[in-house]
Amino acid sequence: MSTLIVISILAIVVLYLGLFKAKEALLPVSVLGLVGALALAIMEWNSNAAPIFSGMMHFDNFAVAFSSICIITTILVFLLSKNYFEKISNNVAEYYTLILFALTGIIVMVSYHNLSMLFVGLEIMSVSLYILAGIKRKDFASNEAALKYFLMGAFSTGFLLFGIALIYGASKSFDLAVIAQYVIDRPTGIDPIFYVGLVLMIVGLCFKVGAAPFHFWTPDVYEGAPTLITAFMSTVVKIAGFAAFLRLFSICFAPLQDFWMPTLLIITILTLFVGNITALYQTNFKRMLAFSSISHAGYMLFAIVALGAASTNAIFIYAAAYAVSSITAFAVLMLVKVKTGGENFEDFNGLAKSNPFLAFALTIAMLSFAGIPLTAGFIGKFFVFNAALTQYHTWLVAIAVINAIIGVFYYFKVIVAMYFKENQTKQIATPVYFNFVLGLSLIITLVLGIYPSFITNLF
Amino acid sequence: MSLFYVVAFLSIIFALLVIFTKNPVHSVLYLIATFFTFTIHYIILNAQFLAVVNFIVYMGAIMVLFLFVLMLMNLNTDTEPMKSTLLKVVGAIAGGCLLVTLIGSMKTLSTASTTAMDNTGIGLVENLGKVLFSDFLLPFELSSILLLAAMVGAVLLAKKENKTA
Repeated sequence: MSTLIVISILAIVVLYLGLFKAKEALLPVSVLGLVGALALAIMEWNSNAAPIFSGMMHFDNFAVAFSSICIITTILVFLLSKNYFEKISNNVAEYYTLILFALTGIIVMVSYHNLSMLFVGLEIMSVSLYILAGIKRKDFASNEAALKYFLMGAFSTGFLLFGIALIYGASKSFDLAVIAQYVIDRPTGIDPIFYVGLVLMIVGLCFKVGAAPFHFWTPDVYEGAPTLITAFMSTVVKIAGFAAFLRLFSICFAPLQDFWMPTLLIITILTLFVGNITALYQTNFKRMLAFSSISHAGYMLFAIVALGAASTNAIFIYAAAYAVSSITAFAVLMLVKVKTGGENFEDFNGLAKSNPFLAFALTIAMLSFAGIPLTAGFIGKFFVFNAALTQYHTWLVAIAVINAIIGVFYYFKVIVAMYFKENQTKQIATPVYFNFVLGLSLIITLVLGIYPSFITNLF
Repeated sequence: MSLFYVVAFLSIIFALLVIFTKNPVHSVLYLIATFFTFTIHYIILNAQFLAVVNFIVYMGAIMVLFLFVLMLMNLNTDTEPMKSTLLKVVGAIAGGCLLVTLIGSMKTLSTASTTAMDNTGIGLVENLGKVLFSDFLLPFELSSILLLAAMVGAVLLAKKENKTA
């Protein structure tokens, strides 16, 4: 709760800083505030918190873990934002504010204990993101991204809301505990509208996390939005979506696994194939990352399909690995784009000669995406597959391994471009903040890859 | 009960007219009529607050917005492009699938036993306010952040920029 309050107030303080033209203070204040919020969140660890505000919010260990990872990733995004928004417009403070508002919604999404809170949190996050996707007002692609995201998002919210309404109609409550009790009390004879509501909620949530066949907005929005916002969307927002998904299913719908498992299984397989195979044909690095984020959504859905005690841990590790690698990839992309003006694979040619550190960081990130051992991505995939194997989804794991091999092809494209193709490019000047973020991500990726028990035994 | 059937019949008729009229302005007018019948439904259910909100927000604000957009877009001339045959076939198959699914699910339906409400005045403004400021206080307060974010965004996107970016 204190985390939520701190972030909300921080957003308003930043808005006032913009009013008083204190541009230099924006970044330090935002980062310091977030560090404070992070500390407050971690202090709640193992405090055995009970649901507060008549069961609206439950800041349990699950919420602490996912809030922390979202706050840390947001801090990394903020560090990359130095001098980024200034190029787009004068109203820098508002962008920081909107990102912080989105984070507020995300904190609500990972700690809700009532479906009305889930809805409010999701809307706070989405509304902020619709705006952030369109902040390049003169840029046609950015406008298209914002409009498309808004229309699709509003549509998916409709599904989610209808699902919530039907579940309320059957169980007579929005409270997660009451809904769970309703399911447990009725081994047979659950109201049919409950099932309809459940399916509609799957549709709504799959829209938000960008799983196939509800992924059509993802590539265009990720490509059109400013790169920094794309980095925020594909990491923090995606993690929050999965946290909300997992929280709902593990608390409420776990006994009904026989009903929703086949649906989600098909969605998972579709997501994996669509994401990976389409990513193979991309020439634009940013668009490739968008499709790869779809395929990573597929891997994370794995842990929900095989819902069990290990699921939370598996998603947490996967999300952490995915977030740091994505941040690295987007950071390097931003630097390369400033230099060459393009986002295609060719623009990375010869990067290893001119900027060995950038190339090395990006290589590790790509290896982590592909799931090569000794990187965090491997540990994430290992835990996700392990969770699936404990429930004997052997052939599902086989499909996922095939997809992981497909993934290696397109992740290596950029590595090949950097190391084995020649290009006369001068060295890219990397700001200190970028070096710090890249170095930190690199260390996290390698440390988690080599010594994963830091976070594997959290839950 | 007979009032319910009359109003329900009217809402279905108006809803169908929304789809079947060619002129978009007429379509919007029928939509207003549909919403009006919904308002009557809410009054029959003793949900006074919903009735008032539905009347003011949906019939008033949103429909006026709809009409404005339609007039600005100038859809009066018949500009809708013809759909290709392939699209029609796909549409027919998809619609047929939906119909089969609906009929299949209808077969399993049974009439629920009528449950008496504990509190018949649950839809009154007084009771709604009490629930909103006791049990649902946190979501209510959080909505303020939602509105603030939307407001900041609206100003940000609509305000004239001094520097040409």
